[in-house]
Amino acid sequence: MSTEEFQYSHLSAQVFTSEIMARSGQDITSCYQCKRCAAGCPVAEQTDMVTPNRLIRMVILGDIEQALTNQLTWKCLFCHTCGTRCPNNIKTGRVADTLKKMALDAGLDPQNPEYKNFHKAFFNHSLRWGKINEIGMMGEYELRNIWDTMKKRKVRKIISHMKARSQFAWEMFRQKRLHLSFHSSKGRDEISRLYKKSAGRKWI
Amino acid sequence: MDLAYYPGCSLYQSAKLYNHQTNLVFERLGLHLQELDDWSCCGATSAGKINDFMAIALPARNLGIAEATNLPELVIPCAACYSRTKVAQKQLQDNPLLQNEINLELSRQTFGNIKVSSILEVLWREINGERFESIPLTKIEGLKAACYYGCMYTRFPYDVEVADNVENPQAMETVLKAIGVPTLDWNHKTLCCGASSVVYNTEAALDLMAKIMKDALARGANCLVVTCPMCQMNMESQQEKYCRKHGIKERMPVYFITELLGLAFGISREEIHPGGNLPPNGLEWSKMCGDSV
Ligand code: SF4
Ligand code: SF4
Repeated sequence: MSTEEFQYSHLSAQVFTSEIMARSGQDITSCYQCKRCAAGCPVAEQTDMVTPNRLIRMVILGDIEQALTNQLTWKCLFCHTCGTRCPNNIKTGRVADTLKKMALDAGLDPQNPEYKNFHKAFFNHSLRWGKINEIGMMGEYELRNIWDTMKKRKVRKIISHMKARSQFAWEMFRQKRLHLSFHSSKGRDEISRLYKKSAGRKWI
Repeated sequence: MDLAYYPGCSLYQSAKLYNHQTNLVFERLGLHLQELDDWSCCGATSAGKINDFMAIALPARNLGIAEATNLPELVIPCAACYSRTKVAQKQLQDNPLLQNEINLELSRQTFGNIKVSSILEVLWREINGERFESIPLTKIEGLKAACYYGCMYTRFPYDVEVADNVENPQAMETVLKAIGVPTLDWNHKTLCCGASSVVYNTEAALDLMAKIMKDALARGANCLVVTCPMCQMNMESQQEKYCRKHGIKERMPVYFITELLGLAFGISREEIHPGGNLPPNGLEWSKMCGDSV
């Protein structure tokens, strides 16, 4: 939540709005606050009243701190209900995604670091092996979580987390969903060359 | 007829069953699936959360491999892989510079010369074909199916052509009707199940799944039918949890559409779902599958 009261500045609102529009590819200035997006958003009940239309307004007003830290930005499921219903074809899910990327680039600790850890683990695993091996990927995810919690010296939290996780893994194993075979792709060289090319690009 | 086939990582792991069933069912339909040689992960939703360039480059590699087969169509059963690949193809088409840049690193390049199809687009077309007509159908009794599509079959993060009605898709209903399984109208057929957020935002995801389950039950459904491995995994493997959390007493099986097609085509229960348990709602297989089992 915001610590200082938000002060509107025309210039920073404009700069912020243009950057979000360029990175997300969405013409958010055409939003006329009809709230069709709000009515369909599946997480809107859990976001402290930040509905997709409000997120758009936050960006346009240049309330950078709120835009990067509010609950919708971090809880958005990228389900695209907002986008298919918007009369102006604004895909707010992509705006939320862009805001998350900006926050991570700026080194802001997200409210839910597990979000970041999951996608990083998944992405790294796909770059390293060319294919996802669920056990390995989830292992990296857990290590990242433990590391984050350790930095905050919350040992109890690690223990309860590990308990919940091992139950989850056992459940998956029992349902024959965990497999021990290992897969990779020979195209890893091509993939790592492409990855090098992507360095430093903020948007495409 | 041969079709290029991209199974994706989950069909080799947690949704192995879906891969197995898809191959069996397509074979019966006279469609030979030619798995892409040395395919790699499409990046799913995660790549786009971290690196926009790679979110396009990863599926581009697979598209290149698919185009090198010279086949006209690439089938992708996993909804996430389908969405990623289809979107990447359109983004490359709209951005020739980017296409060029990515192609420079690929041994098999992509120029947009292949149609990317979901499993439903193919099945929908096939049930009107001669091959389907000639298959003797085994009646499946006792099911009332709620077809659950989830997000990725009709809603995309980029403007692409959508194969069905966005809010009220009909492909699964049409296919199930053709094999004589009754379906019902309901509200939440395209509501999000929470997808991978079940791992990092569990409670919120469970609430969404319970919403879906409750609506299906209220309409009188006794099973869910899906095509997305993530939806199947969530709705089935988390069923105890979300039902207990929301005081739901009933349980129901969550079938891949291929399971019901397989049974209708006369494939035995053991062959279509090796080691599968009895459906949790107590329906008996012998009653459901007539004399084929
Ligand atoms: S549906 Fe579109 S125009 Fe309406 S409030 Fe939402 S973003 Fe704005
Ligand atoms: S994409 Fe995000 S903001 Fe849009 S409806 Fe889905 S959860 Fe809500």
